[in-house]
Amino acid sequence: MRQIITVAHVVWLEMIRRKDFYILFILLSALLIWLMIFDVFGLTTVSGYIKDLGLLAVWIMGWILALNTSIRQLPQEEQRGTLFPLLAKPISRLNIILGKWLGSWSITCLALLCFYITLWLGITIKEGRFDYATLCQGFLLHCAALAIVCAMGLALSTRMNRDAAATTAYVLTGTAFLMLPKIPSMLIHTQGVAGALLLGLYYLFPHFELFDIRHRLVHDWGCAPWLTVCEILLYAVLMTSVFLILAWLSYRNRRFTRENLT
Amino acid sequence: MIPAIDIEKLSVAFQSKTGATHALQELTLSVSPGIVFGFLGPNGAGKTTTIHVLLGFQAATSGTAKIFGQSVTDAVARHRIGYLSENPDAYSFLTGRELLTMAGNLFGLPPSEIKRRVNVLILETGLSFAADRRIASYSRGMRQRICMAQALINDPDLLILDEPTGGLDPLGRLEVRTLITSLKERGKTVFFSSHELSEVELICDRIAILANGRLLAEGPLGSIVPAGENLERFFTNTVTRRTDLAAPL
Repeated sequence: MRQIITVAHVVWLEMIRRKDFYILFILLSALLIWLMIFDVFGLTTVSGYIKDLGLLAVWIMGWILALNTSIRQLPQEEQRGTLFPLLAKPISRLNIILGKWLGSWSITCLALLCFYITLWLGITIKEGRFDYATLCQGFLLHCAALAIVCAMGLALSTRMNRDAAATTAYVLTGTAFLMLPKIPSMLIHTQGVAGALLLGLYYLFPHFELFDIRHRLVHDWGCAPWLTVCEILLYAVLMTSVFLILAWLSYRNRRFTRENLT
Repeated sequence: MIPAIDIEKLSVAFQSKTGATHALQELTLSVSPGIVFGFLGPNGAGKTTTIHVLLGFQAATSGTAKIFGQSVTDAVARHRIGYLSENPDAYSFLTGRELLTMAGNLFGLPPSEIKRRVNVLILETGLSFAADRRIASYSRGMRQRICMAQALINDPDLLILDEPTGGLDPLGRLEVRTLITSLKERGKTVFFSSHELSEVELICDRIAILANGRLLAEGPLGSIVPAGENLERFFTNTVTRRTDLAAPL
């Protein structure tokens, strides 16, 4: 466990000392200030649209941060020449994978917390309010979704270079988020091989839409049933484990030579 | 006595589009503890491949390799090894002290022991003035020294150095040489690959010469180099004379 935390600690320090988070934080703050100062939709007293756009921005930024952080971990070790000294330590490749995932996920969750606090501050200044229990639920589910995203990014980066892994991960997660909820209605009109293929995709891809309760927060619908939330969290644990196992299987016997280090 | 390194009929082949490349062919080698062992060979001889197999970076096609009696495929075998790579670099966003602490944690050393060793190594490598500065601001020589300190954090019984003096100025080379000599005096085993034959001549107890993945000569420096020949001439003669024998299969 100590080795995993040590690897994660390096990821935390890197993230804190890089500019990514600060840029996204400034962008989110600028967006909120812009929405508050310039009455874009002529709704001076309604904070709902700030909630809606703010939460959308937080989701997008969390997504970018989780994918960028997790995907660069392993290829970067190879590029900067720190991989060999790391592998020469008595650390298993499984622990490297787990440490990288833990570091990426936990630091993204911390950044996400900052984003949520900023959003909450913006809404409070605009005299709006969030239902705190629903907000906590939203944050919890958002973190769980990012655990899958980080594991997926890491798994892809075990065999692909950073750019290829990033493109693939953005396409896959974007498709999963936007297309999967539509598959059940598409299945009504699709049969045969195409239908089976769609059904396969439906069960194969992670269902990120399950973790999105932005509508509940925007329209003050209150908390989702906690039992359902627990089931979704369990689903997140399962999907994260699947991607981490895939990452380990792909990485454990990977041969590293001077030639394949760029 | 258990050898520090025990390699038995080790072969490594790479599959490429043009066919199989044999990086190592049935290499058998044994390194006793407490000596300085020079691993020599022209570029592409298989020196780095051997080191990579010893450290578990890549698997052997056949044969076995052991470190102090433990298979190199077991991560535990690396507890007693320190390693400095051919082009050493470190996490540039960490400070020198953070890097050494991280390395100590990966070896599972107690925190108080890590603190003590980090302070000693920072002093020994002459990096006291820069220990709390980020590595990004270090010069090449300073980076080499912090990487060397990282390799020594676990007080290794076996130090594997892959061309440690490559790219260093004469002063840097002297520092590495002094370090290797002091490690030998403390009973440590040093296994290093090098092109600097004059340095090998100065500090090595035994040498092995490799070409095209095959072992051409191995033994104590004083007995395998004939009287009246220096190492450079012996090396050149051995490699060129036996090129036919060592040609890839």
